[in-house]
Amino acid sequence: MSEQAFKLEAALKIHLLLVDDEPEFKEVMQKHLSRMGIRLSLSECCLDALGTLEAHAIDVVIMDMNMPGMDGIQCLKKVKERWPLIEVIILTGHASVKSGIEGMESGAFDYCLKPIDVRELIEKIELAAQKALINQEDAAS
Amino acid sequence: MTIINRILTTLRRFLRPTSAPPLLSPEELQRLFTARYRSFRELLAANTNTLEAMAELEKALRDGRTLSMTFIRSRCTLVTVNVYKIIHNLNKIADGRYSELERIFSRLQQSIETLLAGNQGRTEGDPVLDLERIGRAQADLAGEKMANLGEAGSLAGIRIPPGFALTAVATRLFFQRNQLYPKINHLIQQMDITKLEDLHRKSMAIQEMIRNCPLPPELESLLFDHFDQLAAVMSGLKVAVRSSALAEDLGQASFAGLYHTELDVGRDTLASAYKSVLASKYTPRAISYRLAKGFRHEETEMCVGFLAMIEPAVSGICYSRSIGGRGDTLDLFFAPGGAKGIVDGTRSTSHLLMERTAPHRIVRRLEAEDALGARLTDAQAVSLAEIGMQLEQHFGAPQDIEWSIDPAGTLFILQSRPISTSPFVATETDQPPAQEDERVLLHGGVTGCAGAGCGPVFIVHSPEDMLHFPKRAVLVVKHPLPEWAPLLKRAAALVAETGSEAGHLATLSREFGLPSLLALGRATEILTNGETVTVDAAHRAIYRGRIEELLHDNGKHPNLMEGSPVQQTLISVLKLISPLNLTDPASPDFHACRCRTLHDITRFCHEKSVLEMFDFGKRYHFDKGAAKRLRDNLPLEWWLIDLGEGLQPHYDIRSPDIAITDIACPPMQAIWEGMHAVAWEGPPTAGLRTMVSFLFQSAVHNGLDPSRTSALREKNYFLISKNYCNLSVRLGYHYAMIEAMLGNRPVDRYITFRFKGGAAGEDQRIQRIELLAEVLEQFDYRIERIGDALTARVERETEQFVVDRLKVLGYLTIHTRQLDMVMVDAGARQFFRDKFIQEIEEMLNHE
Repeated sequence: MSEQAFKLEAALKIHLLLVDDEPEFKEVMQKHLSRMGIRLSLSECCLDALGTLEAHAIDVVIMDMNMPGMDGIQCLKKVKERWPLIEVIILTGHASVKSGIEGMESGAFDYCLKPIDVRELIEKIELAAQKALINQEDAAS
Repeated sequence: MTIINRILTTLRRFLRPTSAPPLLSPEELQRLFTARYRSFRELLAANTNTLEAMAELEKALRDGRTLSMTFIRSRCTLVTVNVYKIIHNLNKIADGRYSELERIFSRLQQSIETLLAGNQGRTEGDPVLDLERIGRAQADLAGEKMANLGEAGSLAGIRIPPGFALTAVATRLFFQRNQLYPKINHLIQQMDITKLEDLHRKSMAIQEMIRNCPLPPELESLLFDHFDQLAAVMSGLKVAVRSSALAEDLGQASFAGLYHTELDVGRDTLASAYKSVLASKYTPRAISYRLAKGFRHEETEMCVGFLAMIEPAVSGICYSRSIGGRGDTLDLFFAPGGAKGIVDGTRSTSHLLMERTAPHRIVRRLEAEDALGARLTDAQAVSLAEIGMQLEQHFGAPQDIEWSIDPAGTLFILQSRPISTSPFVATETDQPPAQEDERVLLHGGVTGCAGAGCGPVFIVHSPEDMLHFPKRAVLVVKHPLPEWAPLLKRAAALVAETGSEAGHLATLSREFGLPSLLALGRATEILTNGETVTVDAAHRAIYRGRIEELLHDNGKHPNLMEGSPVQQTLISVLKLISPLNLTDPASPDFHACRCRTLHDITRFCHEKSVLEMFDFGKRYHFDKGAAKRLRDNLPLEWWLIDLGEGLQPHYDIRSPDIAITDIACPPMQAIWEGMHAVAWEGPPTAGLRTMVSFLFQSAVHNGLDPSRTSALREKNYFLISKNYCNLSVRLGYHYAMIEAMLGNRPVDRYITFRFKGGAAGEDQRIQRIELLAEVLEQFDYRIERIGDALTARVERETEQFVVDRLKVLGYLTIHTRQLDMVMVDAGARQFFRDKFIQEIEEMLNHE
């Protein structure tokens, strides 16, 4: 199977969780991802996201850094600590070198800046999906 | 280091025992190899992202275009995050043998963070200062305007109104107590400055937020105490509450009229007036001005002056050197009452042109029609001229001075700042347009900024109209109010029915180099929206249609970012990001500890990642993953690793080398065919000038020498599978990368080519990128180019189409080698472009 096809197929196999408190952004993403056939859950904040992660087998999380309640980096650390196989893409409208590196050191798959082109984000989701499935395969073998 | 020492160092490196890899089963080796290949792919993607973001930063600096701190911060973040990924993945590929890079990276990252953070909030001192305690030494505490005014007041014979200032320390107390900084930064970072609607919406939200916050009680009581002390000696005290931002009123950026002033403020509205002035830092006009001139929001802290109101009989502006261009004269503009009508351009203004030297003879007198009551005696005019020259001498530069005279005849100086430095002057000519020229729609008025501009007329009456203002239109307004300032960068010319050269918008038009014509009565009635006109501001005329001969003489637009704090920040961070010191992998200096910039780390990691991938088979005794050298007649080394099913079944996997006939990878075969279709004539001969430039660079960059055999013996690397090919080929300091897939489905057929940089000077590198882009575009590649970084793509085409385009790339990778050495001008580019296109067409038609 080619890389392109593998990435797309991986994205179709996963369950994605989008954690963001911006309704417009969630709406746009929901429209695009459902059209592609990607299974998606939504959360408003970190606390809500942790509940969703307990209840469902999530593979990839897209998380905004600035949300009400828990800070994005703290939330990322909690997710990676409890579910190390999950890949997390950090999104932020407030770019900073410090938070970018903190995010990567805390195990983020990628750190992306808002506003982001939907196609670019989908490309990142596909790559993260591919990585998450490999993580699961490696853990199983 | 002597040659013998170098040889010994190299020998030691070879003889040093390396840690033995663990013994693994064939399945484990295959899994490990696959995992490393994935890391390699991630590293390459991060490498591309880094180089692209880096090229965007370099291009922004070179273009001198408007750039915001948000842009710089976001690109720096992308560069650092991706360099982090590069190092992380290299260490995964190389069993952690490059951990030294983490320390170097961490140091660079912290330095970049410090530079991006700027020096906000460093000044310490009193939250409130009486004006008599303020001088130039307090400019960082009380702001430029109050510092200059306080200093002026300390000079003999100059009188200023009594007052006090709430300093930057007070502002920080107010903002920090109300946790305003992160909220405002968040809104500003998300602001799309190109959309005026977004700018207005977010600006209003920020101002509202500031106005709704309470003053900290200790600040409030300090404010009232100082007001009451002043009121105790001045019955019925009212104050003017005036902005005095840090960095406001500088020569290169006047911030003229961009911030709020509130007049006749009593005790009951003192706090709200203070907050209104603080909030005015975030009006659309102030935000867009700072952006255009490269000022950082966080470093232009707003301080506020409270000056006792004086009853003005006549007020005006004195330019101690005439803005009309006559160096031996000064200007006095004046009108009855306060100065507000003069600076916001709503009042007719009288003008005296006077000699700068005593006895300050009046050269020209222009009385405004409705200026009755503006009594300025010749003696007062001479006093003003003397004070103007005194202030100029004291501050060391020509001054723009605001003044008022009260009914008792006492002269007060209200403001003194350097005249906005601009090559664009408010000159008017003695030759108005010929009356019989039927193209003239309007003539007369005064020149705010000389020059000519052409575009469709767009009349702006209200802030709502601003939202629809098209780019490069002629801005026509009734009054030249400062609130139209956000449109100056978009406009082709400015026309106003009222105003004078002394108005704030006229000052700003000179800073922006925007032709402006003021006091042109009935302009909004006679000009119609959408009609194309040419505004000749110097000759004070507006013509129907486009008049080319008038537009010819227009000078270049000023580089508004030149020397600005934002540009300085960009230059400083680029010093840590962009220079490439590690250029030659064969040099003993090509070592992790020699990395001084993020570009060095990127270059170093890319080189090492390729070597590590190609060393895997040997290191782990894994024949399937071992690198094979291709047998070839070109004077270049080609190495190959098979990722799976890329070789013919008959090939003996233990063999150290390989022939092209042993390959079963169609995209690689196509590239190879393109490489060998036309015989290569070898590296081009450089001209003397280029060689001098190159030798200079060789001296700067250790190890770079075009005559070295290593330049030809450089290794190039193929990673292949059945349908996939990844080629890292050296075209300069960097590898160029070709990635190609040739599958059965359209989605599985693509080519990506990426390249940045070269060995020669910047102009030559750009010429070569242009050449590559032109040839690739000719053969249907989709091009993205940022500075000297190029990406070319072909996607979802037929199999034959993709094969042919791969041959084109194969041809170019050979024939553009070291070509930047001879790319001295556009002529050389055209010669090679024509040659390449002809040879490629012959190659493709030959089949």
